[in-house]
Amino acid sequence: MYYSIPKVEYYRPKTLEEAIELLLNIEGSKIVAGGTDLLVDIKTSRAKVRALIDINSIAELRGIVDAGEFIRIGAATKLQEILESHTISENLPLLRAAIESMGSWQIRNLATIGGNLCTASPAADTAPPLLAYDAELTIAGRSGLRVVPVSKFFTGYRKTAIGYGEILKEIVVRKSNWTKWSYVKLGRRGGFTLSIVAVAVTAKISNSVVEDIRIALNSVAPTPIRAYRAEEVLRGKKIEMKLVEEAARFVAGEVSPIDDIRSTSWYRREMSHRLTLDTLSRALGVE
Amino acid sequence: MVEDPEIIIRRWFVAESFIAVGKSLERVDSIEKVLGRARFVEDFFEEGFLVARLALARIPHARIRKISYDHILKNPKVHQVLTYRDIPGENQVGYAIPDQPLLAERKVRYYGEPVAVVVGRDPDTVNSAVEEVVLDVDPLPALYNSLEAMERQDILVHEALGTNIAFKTRVRKGDVDSGFSKADVVVENTYRTHHQEHAYLEPEAALAIPDLENRITVIATIQYPHLGQKIVAKVLGIPSSYVKIVAPYIGGGFGGKDDEGPLVAARAALAAYHLRRPVLLYYTREDSMQIHPKREATVIRYKSGATQDGKLTAIEVTIVHDTGAYANRGPFILWRATMHSSGPYYVPNAKIDGYCVYTNKVPQGSFRGFGNPSVQFAAEAQMDQLAEKLGFDPIDLRLINMLRPSSETITGQMLMSSVGIYDALKKLASESNWRIKRRMYEESRAGRFRRGIGVAVGWHGNSTSRAVPDWSNSYIHISRDGSVSVYTGIVEIGQGSPSSSHRQLVAEVLGCPFEKVNIVFGTTDAPDTGATHASRGTSVGAIGILVAAGKIRSRLESFLAEYFNVQKEEIKMSSGEVVVGDKVKMKWEELIALAYSKGVDLSATGYFFLPKGVFNDEVGQGFAYPAFSFIAVVAEVEVDTFTGKVRVLEVHPALAVGKVINPEAVKTQVEGAIVQGLGYTLMEKLVISEDGRIINDNLTDYVIPTSHETPVIREAIFVEDLWEYGPFGAKGVGEMAFIPMPAAIANALSHALGIRVTELPLTLDKVYSLTRDSSR
Ligand SMILES: Cc1cc2nc3c(=O)[nH]c(=O)nc-3n(C[C@H](O)[C@H](O)[C@H](O)COP(=O)(O)OP(=O)(O)OC[C@H]3O[C@@H](n4cnc5c(N)ncnc54)[C@H](O)[C@@H]3O)c2cc1C
Repeated sequence: MYYSIPKVEYYRPKTLEEAIELLLNIEGSKIVAGGTDLLVDIKTSRAKVRALIDINSIAELRGIVDAGEFIRIGAATKLQEILESHTISENLPLLRAAIESMGSWQIRNLATIGGNLCTASPAADTAPPLLAYDAELTIAGRSGLRVVPVSKFFTGYRKTAIGYGEILKEIVVRKSNWTKWSYVKLGRRGGFTLSIVAVAVTAKISNSVVEDIRIALNSVAPTPIRAYRAEEVLRGKKIEMKLVEEAARFVAGEVSPIDDIRSTSWYRREMSHRLTLDTLSRALGVE
Repeated sequence: MVEDPEIIIRRWFVAESFIAVGKSLERVDSIEKVLGRARFVEDFFEEGFLVARLALARIPHARIRKISYDHILKNPKVHQVLTYRDIPGENQVGYAIPDQPLLAERKVRYYGEPVAVVVGRDPDTVNSAVEEVVLDVDPLPALYNSLEAMERQDILVHEALGTNIAFKTRVRKGDVDSGFSKADVVVENTYRTHHQEHAYLEPEAALAIPDLENRITVIATIQYPHLGQKIVAKVLGIPSSYVKIVAPYIGGGFGGKDDEGPLVAARAALAAYHLRRPVLLYYTREDSMQIHPKREATVIRYKSGATQDGKLTAIEVTIVHDTGAYANRGPFILWRATMHSSGPYYVPNAKIDGYCVYTNKVPQGSFRGFGNPSVQFAAEAQMDQLAEKLGFDPIDLRLINMLRPSSETITGQMLMSSVGIYDALKKLASESNWRIKRRMYEESRAGRFRRGIGVAVGWHGNSTSRAVPDWSNSYIHISRDGSVSVYTGIVEIGQGSPSSSHRQLVAEVLGCPFEKVNIVFGTTDAPDTGATHASRGTSVGAIGILVAAGKIRSRLESFLAEYFNVQKEEIKMSSGEVVVGDKVKMKWEELIALAYSKGVDLSATGYFFLPKGVFNDEVGQGFAYPAFSFIAVVAEVEVDTFTGKVRVLEVHPALAVGKVINPEAVKTQVEGAIVQGLGYTLMEKLVISEDGRIINDNLTDYVIPTSHETPVIREAIFVEDLWEYGPFGAKGVGEMAFIPMPAAIANALSHALGIRVTELPLTLDKVYSLTRDSSR
């Protein structure tokens, strides 16, 4: 009973337009989806909020749609729904793997994918797979929709491209024949843990040549990142352990980790190298 | 009629067949707890009660000039702010040394020290009001390092003492110089262990309800109701008999609520005393983690010598405990660590020095194992290194030196019986496939994932140390319908002794139906039973219950013998069936009705004062404990040399803890302690900032193990080495499996990597750098 959060106004709009109007008209208002980040922040006073706008009743923000060329995931879709979706496991296995290691069943039944992205924690676990898939984010505002690639979405430590009065509407991923993938999350314990480093790799291979590859990490920089230079080392090349090792070394150069309660900057740098080596080797099938 | 406790204890000690004892009876409270029906402190809160929180110091070391709060009282929802000035009795609550105020007075000695009790109408009000208490101070330089604090005279945590060393211990046995000169190998190392947070499900809380004439009832998270009673009475300046303490169901203790329980009760009582209304004082998780004492953080220098044939010749040990701002139970913890520092081995020559040192950190306190996990970590690492140098198998070297009946401990105490660890370890070696696995892992020490297997042994003295008085006490009375009310001060903190093993004991001794027994636990309405700590709930704690039940049994037997004119031997009472000779049969209920009608006294107290010997503090020699519980575990680990991640795969325990009253209950204690020990060893780490604040004061940042980390835990091996004074020969179990875990995991990891681990915790980054050292 000592954990009651300060009194706030509460709205539960049915449409996106309504939500945007509320957001614009009420000073100090904030979107709440699952509340698994926001309520903790309110409790610890990291977030000061006067009104909560609950988006869980906005139908168009929820659900997973297989639209042929694309897969669309509503921003307010629960992580557990994504985990249990066939569309996702068939087409976006990296995302599934990442979500499987997130929180607990109870948390995943509250938490949403949009909330994970909008909190923009450096440790956000849905970010590396979405970065690897080069997902596009549809953002709704009073003047309509705009699309931002996920690689441009995180603008700084806990900062996003979402502007005043805007709401993340959906995540769109183009289907593609990424045949190889691998995901590793390292945390302080086996489950129910925030990452120290996580690495997502997805690749297209033909005749032992890396046609295309994407490497993304979290917890090693102020935002989740793509390791572009490491990708460059491999793209268009024949798979060879030497190259994989070189790429992994490049990753260590692209990260800028910090010391925090979970680990040290030194260890994170070491792990961004080692775990990239590990995930690349698995994805590309070399040892 | 037999009323002599020793004779009663003896009668059941030699019993050979049992009805209830030794059976895995299901815990009576388990289903209802899972359904959320058990009531914990906060559940007793009612509309209209006041609420309170503590204002904490936000500086590690300072002289207090003024505590200002008048501005807060302008808010009509704030009822009162209480500081040391408002304490009608004594502001002194140190358990071992009178060094600790209930509320900071004159000085602040750690970040998080309670300064004021803020009482208000609702949680929101007190939550913001506690932030507004202004502490006007002159800051002082703070000490965080125990080795440094030992040397400093210019910065003193407690000026009056003239030193930062709060307490010293020593053992002088034989002659270590000559001992080391006889040694063929000598091993010397410095070991470091860290704090641990109890992280119990339920943080501390107390609900104080005032009554007429300053009488007061406090419902509290507490492990020793009668100690709470004493402290509340002292703080309020009222007689103990005016204070009633009730410990309802408690969401975990592990020692933390032994230290903090009486203090949270006293702070709540202070508020209720002044406001004359019920007040609930509650610690948030963050408050709990900032305020309450933690497991000892230690630096242990350890030197041991042994001959070619594997016999220990001498040990020389220096133990430094960082006791933080207050001694709390630090001196007792250090004392226990010192007297157990050899491990359960015969050591002819020993020189041990212990120092309990003040720093400006959260105090050191009671935690499962009480000084023993850290010192066994050091002792057992030494044994492994001696074995390696001498070319012995680690288990063989241990067996050579192991205490057996008639062996002498390092305090020179002769243990005549109840020493089953030799047999337990031997069995463990064969049942765990120790030798085969040990060799197998050694031969495959390559590649990314490496496995290792390690052994560790632990021992733990039962009861309080030295000649410190210890007793057991209980009161039983039988109602006219044959139901049995048992009053004990032992509390239910999740271990289940009052809810299961105590009932088994009573049903066994009285021969009454199990369901007729009600244990009224955790209350000062019972006689002072001592604390629910030191693994004593079912061992020492239940002796009183056995004695009281034994008295009533004997009265009933005498009555029946006389009434039916038979010999006492012809009377059988079990599971509610009473058989007298070959003619008379009756139900337990009928017997009780008859006894009531014929004037048999069916109320009895059971009291037993543990016989102890003398101890010479000057040389640390003499009687240390009435008996010891023993344990050995074998642990297997797998380390990922890529990341430094250690997984404990399997743990195999073997215990010599006397009679096992309820195997299922023992199993839950063993499993819980293994997982708690694993968490401590691998991931739990309190981080203290430069200004002395615990940064990770929540369970997001301070991680404890989950079911993911839980290893395979093999069925425990039991060697029932009965203790003559324990009920049915039972010894303590609760702490045991924690004690060898740090050592076992560290030894297994050392085995996997081929290098020696000397420092805990074995976090990813630490193990990763070790693996890099080992591959160099
Ligand atoms: C016990 C526990 C375990 C956790 N484990 C993990 C883990 O393993 N990995 C991990 O990455 N995270 C973890 N988290 C963090 C959290 O659960 C996730 O980040 C989750 O996805 C957040 O989603 P939510 O719907 O609860 O967000 P909310 O708390 O509702 O919102 C978070 C933020 O995003 C904003 N927001 C939400 N939706 C939108 C939208 N559609 N448009 C614009 N802004 C929006 C909110 O205003 C708020 O600022 C854990 C949290 C807890 C409490």
